[in-house]
Amino acid sequence: MKTKWQSDWKTRFWAVVKYELLWNIRKKKFIGVMALALALATLSLALPVLVRNIAGEYLPQNPDYVISTGVGVGGLGMFLFAVAVAMNSISGEFESGSIVPLLTKPVSRTIIFIGKLLAAFITLLAAYASLLLYMAVGGWIIYGPQNNLHLLPLSLLGTLISTFVWIAMVIFIGTLSKSSLLAALGAFGIYMALNISASIISVFTSQAWILNYLPGSGAVGFIKENGTSMSVSTGTDNIASNIIKCVLYPSVEVAYLKFSFAPGNPFTELFREPLWFVLLRSLLVAFAYIIGLLAIAWHSFRHGQVLE
Amino acid sequence: MALAIETIGLTKRYGSLVAVNKLNLQVEKNTIHGFLGPNGAGKTTTIKVLVGLLRPDGGTVRVLGREVYGDVPESRLKVGYMPELPRFPKHLKGWELLDLYGRMYGMTEQQRREQIPKLLEMVGLKGREKDFIGKYSKGMQQRLGIAQALLNDPELVILDEPSLGLDPVGMVEVRELVKNIAKEGRTVFLSSHLLFEVEQVCTHITIIHKGVALASDTLQNIYSRISGAATLVVELAKPIDSVADVLRKLPFVSGVEQGGRMLVIELKTHDDVRPQISQEITRAGGVIVSMSFKGRTLEEVFMQLITEFGGQK
Repeated sequence: MKTKWQSDWKTRFWAVVKYELLWNIRKKKFIGVMALALALATLSLALPVLVRNIAGEYLPQNPDYVISTGVGVGGLGMFLFAVAVAMNSISGEFESGSIVPLLTKPVSRTIIFIGKLLAAFITLLAAYASLLLYMAVGGWIIYGPQNNLHLLPLSLLGTLISTFVWIAMVIFIGTLSKSSLLAALGAFGIYMALNISASIISVFTSQAWILNYLPGSGAVGFIKENGTSMSVSTGTDNIASNIIKCVLYPSVEVAYLKFSFAPGNPFTELFREPLWFVLLRSLLVAFAYIIGLLAIAWHSFRHGQVLE
Repeated sequence: MALAIETIGLTKRYGSLVAVNKLNLQVEKNTIHGFLGPNGAGKTTTIKVLVGLLRPDGGTVRVLGREVYGDVPESRLKVGYMPELPRFPKHLKGWELLDLYGRMYGMTEQQRREQIPKLLEMVGLKGREKDFIGKYSKGMQQRLGIAQALLNDPELVILDEPSLGLDPVGMVEVRELVKNIAKEGRTVFLSSHLLFEVEQVCTHITIIHKGVALASDTLQNIYSRISGAATLVVELAKPIDSVADVLRKLPFVSGVEQGGRMLVIELKTHDDVRPQISQEITRAGGVIVSMSFKGRTLEEVFMQLITEFGGQK
C-alpha cells in the first residue's frame, strides 16, 4: 500500500527556508563578509584604546559611544552582506542545475521564492544582531555604561530594511539574468554609480531632492542640536541612523546646502524639512523599491521556464 | 486502459525550432515505458513539459489524470522525477538533501526516518550520506537522483537517461533498480538513447525522432509491426527431408527453407515457440545441434523507422 503523505504547505515552506538557510550559512562569501565585519568591528573598538595607550593617556568614558558610532552596518557593509546572501539565491540554482529537482517537488514557486527571502532575512537578522551585540558589549567594556541601548533593536530593524533594498536589487538582476555574476556586478555598478553621483549632486547642484527617491546614501543635509552640527544622509542606506536621530531629536530639521565657488559664503541653504519626514520618506522609498523589484523578480521566477 | 501519462498534440517550440511536434503519447499504468530517440529527438523537452519545467506551446498534457499547466504543486505529489545528469546543492549532505526534499513532499519525521535509510541502501550510498554532495562523483549524484525520485513513494517515476554518466557496473545496477521499482506496482517512464537498455528493461516503448512519435506500443508489437515475422535457425546433426514437411504443417510457421543440415523457419508469431519446434523435429527423427532466433534487434527497428521518417520528409 502506498503511504498518503501529508499535504501541509507550512511543512513545505519551512523545508525551503531550511534548505536556503543551510546554503546561506555555509557560503564562503557569507562567512568571509561576516569575518570581515567582525574584524572591522574589533578594530574600531580596539584602535582608540591602542592609540591612547601608546600616547600614555586614559580613554575617557563615553556613554553615547554605541548609539552614536556603533549603530548598524555601513552602506558598503550592507551592500556586501546583500550580495553575499542573495547573489546565488535564485540565479545560482539555475546555473548549477539544482533548480530542476527543486522545482519538481510539490512546492509552488511562490513558496520557494518567499522561503528564500525569509531565509535571507533570518540570516541577516542573525548576522546583524551578533554584530550589534558585539559592538554593544565591546563599547560597554571600553567606554563604560552606555545610554539609549534600548534603541538598538530599532537600529537593527532599520539596517535590515536598508539591506533588503540591495537584496531586492541583487535578486531582481539575478532572477532576470539567471547569472550570479551579473547580479553581483550589476548591483555593484548601481551602488557605485549612485554613491559617486550622490556626493556630486548633493553638494554642487540644486537637484539633491532626486537622491531622496533613489536607493543608496541619498542627499546630505545638516541638523543642529545643542549647538552641535551633524550631517544626515537621507537615503535608504541610512534608515537605522535616522531612526535613532529621530527618536533622540524628534523636532529637529534637516537643512540642505549647496556649495559654490563664488566669493563670500560658499554655502547657500536650499530648503529645510523635518527629520521625521526624511525618515518616513526614506522608509516609503525603501519599501517601494523592495516591493517593486521583488514583485518583478517573483513574476519572472514564477513564469520562467527551465531551458537548460 | 488507465493512463499514467497522456499527451494530445503536445507541441513545444524554441524559437523557430519545433522540438516536440504534435506528440500523442500514452503511457499505461504499471508498465515500464521506454521513451527512445537519438540525441536531440525531443525526449528531455517532453519530460520537462510533463514535470512542469517547460510550458507547452500547444496540446494538452495529463499526468496521473491531472492536467499539467503552470505551477500546480499537487500534480507533482505522486510523481518522482530524476533529471538527466541531476545536480544538487553542493552545500548539503546526502541525507540532508533527502530529508529536506522529504519535508517538501510533506512527509512526517517518522516517514522520513524509515524511507531515507532504505533508499540510501538501495542506491548504494549507505555510508556516504553524511558527506557533502560537492564531494560526490557523477555516478553518486546519479544514484542520489534515483533515491530522491523514489522518496515520495511515487505512483509514477520519470527517469531521464538514468544510465548517463554511469560506469558499466552502475548501468547494470540501474537497470535492475528500474525493474525492481516497477515490481512494486509503479509506472516507470524512462527516456534513453541506449537501445539495449530499453530492450532489456521496458515492456512498452515510444520511439521519437525530431519531435515526432514514430511508433508507440508494446515492445513485442513494435517488433512485429516493423520487422514482420521472426526467423528461427536450426542446425541438425544430419539432414532429414521429412523434418521440413512436418514443420510446414505447424500453424505458426509460414515457411521453411532447408540447406543441408540448416533449417531456416519463418514464423508468424513473435512468441517463443522453440519448445514446440524442438518437439516436432525430434518426433520426425531429427537431432538438434543448435537453435537460435534470427530476429531483428531494436536497433535495426529503430534505424528502419528513422530512415522511413527521413524518406517521408
